[in-house]
Amino acid sequence: MKVSSMAIRSLDAFARMSIGRALSSGIGMVAGGFLILLVLVAVFAPLIAPFDYADQNLMNANAAPGWPHVLGTDEFGRDVLSRVIYGARTSLSVSATAIAISMAAGMTLGAAAGYFGGFFERAVMTVVDLTWSFPDILIALIFVAIIGPGLTSTTFAIAIAYLAQFTRLTRAQIVRLKRETFIEATINLGAKPSHILLKHLMPNAMAPVIVVGMLAIGDGIVLEATLGFFGLGAQPPTPSWGAMMSSGTAQLFLSPWVIIFPGVAVAITVIAVNLFGDELIRSLDIRDRLRGA
Amino acid sequence: MPNLLEVRDLSKRFTSAGSAFRKARSMHAVNGVSFDLAKGRVIGVVGESGCGKSTLARLILRLIEPSGGAVHFDGDDLLAKSPAQMRRLRARMQMVFQDPYSAIDPRYTLARAVAEPFEVQGVTPEKPMTDEVAGLLEMVGLNPGLATSYPHQISGGQKQRVGIARALALRPSLLVLDEPTASLDVSVQAQIIGLLEDLRSDLGLTYLFISHDLSLVKYFCDEILVMYLGRVVEALPDTAAPARHPYTRTLMESTFEPDPKKRRLIAPLEGEVPSPFDLPPGCAFVDRCPNASALCRSETPALSTETGHAVACHHPI
Repeated sequence: MKVSSMAIRSLDAFARMSIGRALSSGIGMVAGGFLILLVLVAVFAPLIAPFDYADQNLMNANAAPGWPHVLGTDEFGRDVLSRVIYGARTSLSVSATAIAISMAAGMTLGAAAGYFGGFFERAVMTVVDLTWSFPDILIALIFVAIIGPGLTSTTFAIAIAYLAQFTRLTRAQIVRLKRETFIEATINLGAKPSHILLKHLMPNAMAPVIVVGMLAIGDGIVLEATLGFFGLGAQPPTPSWGAMMSSGTAQLFLSPWVIIFPGVAVAITVIAVNLFGDELIRSLDIRDRLRGA
Repeated sequence: MPNLLEVRDLSKRFTSAGSAFRKARSMHAVNGVSFDLAKGRVIGVVGESGCGKSTLARLILRLIEPSGGAVHFDGDDLLAKSPAQMRRLRARMQMVFQDPYSAIDPRYTLARAVAEPFEVQGVTPEKPMTDEVAGLLEMVGLNPGLATSYPHQISGGQKQRVGIARALALRPSLLVLDEPTASLDVSVQAQIIGLLEDLRSDLGLTYLFISHDLSLVKYFCDEILVMYLGRVVEALPDTAAPARHPYTRTLMESTFEPDPKKRRLIAPLEGEVPSPFDLPPGCAFVDRCPNASALCRSETPALSTETGHAVACHHPI
């Protein structure tokens, strides 16, 4: 019953049931609620942020948290709260875009490799494994060298860094599913390979890939912050949590709030993503146990 | 009756990949199998697990490419067909699988599973699809109300009925039954066998029935092929024909006899099935055969009809 246990009815059913169940637990509710809030904050940043993220006020540089700058100001007198709020936009959009690209490419490559097998499979897996052997930072540096620093390089670097994971996971699922009787039965009905792949193999392989994708968004945020910290990501004055922390290191002892608050934002977001991902896995596992009988 | 299926010298050799440390090995899963299946008849294929029964079924339907031989289905040479032609032909030759538990996509409702053959073949049924699906479910003895259920919500017997409905959706003429009852409870087995019998007479189907259960095959089939390690060792033209091959004899004697007075002492088969990778020269059954002679060790017996029906034995009983 391996297949039916992992399987879910459809993508929307997955969304409704698993995410719904993950949200219904205590931790899942808090983590999921925070993530929803964060997305709303990112989307409505211009309405929420008390100041413009780029407004400088050198007279008021390095002001401690207080009023009107609730989280203080940085070395240019920019409002830290506003920059953290706008930074959520950068972090979330870069990470989500990168993981979406990575998932789409990884699932396509993995499915094709798993389905067709042979030399094609070996070629794809070798190239993909090769990308895994490079440190993420090195991949980012290569992209920076080619297209220059910025969010595009960061996005592609993160996408490449996770490509191997999605490709391997999808391939493994497809190879396992390919041996199921219902695939042979459908081939025997006269189905084309495209029907087998799109109507049977992919939908059944999707669930674990989506869960891993969810968790990878958390890692993507950390990687984006890391690259931003090294100055390879968002370029000033675009606020990014990593870049803010980087500029904050200079005044670490003078005005620690400049580095602390974006750091806290990264930490809480990643913890929330991971907790929610765990809850998602758990909600799928419960389903396993119920179905296993 | 004209022959619906003609199988000639069908063979499949599987080769394992060799490496620096191991020689490539090959085995004949199916070796020179020939038979005719007339329209409306039921032919049974019996043998132990691993004797090549299921491979034979898949070779006939070209789910596996044969290494040699020929398959003619209703006059068409299957092995000469292009993949696209083959896909169209599949509508007329269907299969019911051994494991009903994984024979339906777990994400498909029964309605979607039963409607899939039409979708795949691009056929629009005469009736609206919901009526067609309900009709098919009723035909295999399922409540049409189950149409919106998922496979995990129904029993193994019901799943096998859905598998049969799927196979019959496009009105095939040949149905290959690969141990359709092997993974079901005994009481459910009887229901499925009953259903298959009814469907055969109602729809004029031709069956190739694969099983390891000789008593079931004797009950269900018109003709019986007995397979041992990839070869047909005996072809019984009807279920009353006396077994001439020692292997068939042993199989027949080992079926359960309900009447205690008729029970005899069964001589169990000695020895093990030899590894299909390195078959001994001569007859594959030689090490387990009570009548084995020196000739049996040196020369592989061919199917011969000297003693009535086809037997591959140097010393038929």
